Amino acid sequence: MIKQESADNARIVGSPMVHNVSLFLLLFAFWMALVGTLSTKFIIYGLITAAVTVWLCYPLLLVPNKDGSKKYFVFGVPVFKFISYSVWLMWQLVLANIDVLKATTSQELDIDPKVVRFYFKVDNPMAYVVLANSITLTPGTVTLNVDDDGLFEIHALTTGAAEGVLDGSFQKKVADLYGEAYEFTVVEEEE
Amino acid sequence: MICDFTIREILATIFVLGGSLFFVGSAIGMLRLPDFYTRIHASGNSETLGCMLSFIGLVIYEGLTITALKMVMIFTIVFLANPIGSHILSKAAYKSGHRVLTSKDLEKEEDEDADIHH
Repeated sequence: MIKQESADNARIVGSPMVHNVSLFLLLFAFWMALVGTLSTKFIIYGLITAAVTVWLCYPLLLVPNKDGSKKYFVFGVPVFKFISYSVWLMWQLVLANIDVLKATTSQELDIDPKVVRFYFKVDNPMAYVVLANSITLTPGTVTLNVDDDGLFEIHALTTGAAEGVLDGSFQKKVADLYGEAYEFTVVEEEE
Repeated sequence: MICDFTIREILATIFVLGGSLFFVGSAIGMLRLPDFYTRIHASGNSETLGCMLSFIGLVIYEGLTITALKMVMIFTIVFLANPIGSHILSKAAYKSGHRVLTSKDLEKEEDEDADIHH
């Protein structure tokens, strides 16, 4: 409860006006793409529904950071950086896919399943989401659990996949995406 | 002309077939891999590159229309939402204490199998 109260008077990072307008434009573009025609009736419907949706959803799309001093907008990410990150991620996906396909269809199963752990700490909670989602999306690695201290537990299928997660390139990219300082430490396995 | 296909159709076919290759690979992985966690990885194969290539093929076949745009949207949503499913399944298994099979267990199993056969 204390966390909730402190989150209520937290400072919103970025301008709420920009957030509202960008969310509105996104929703309106989505509506227009689904409608597919440019008749006045549907444009007016779209404007109204987008406005109501933004009004209802904007408070839900603000996530507080760990100590509750700031609130971050969920989609508050630089667009061009995000596109370049997506392209990089796609390329990683292609490489990882071929790796997993080779490992699972070779004569002898070429796998080394294990759980790897690392700490990754940033202020923005969305960075955790993006990192965990990207890791799960990459074949050969699945995020098992992320706890409040930023401990990531990753299940890796092949040796290459485990190394790919632990070499820190993913973490650096995600931290760069949000333009934040980050801490990254690998937890050594206990034998 | 040897055949009646346009270049666009041939390109689309190549992409969709490439996608199917990954779907088949995913199915093979699903059957061959030993335990729950490793099988989730196999599903990752089809949900990323399999999906991606199939959708690229369909978009090329469709051309620059509103339907192609909708396909790109579906593809984006699949990309954002699919890992959540894998993550929740594996998280539930991990939290409820499902044991993670490691390469040592695999070697042990192989030895036991060998003993039975001899």
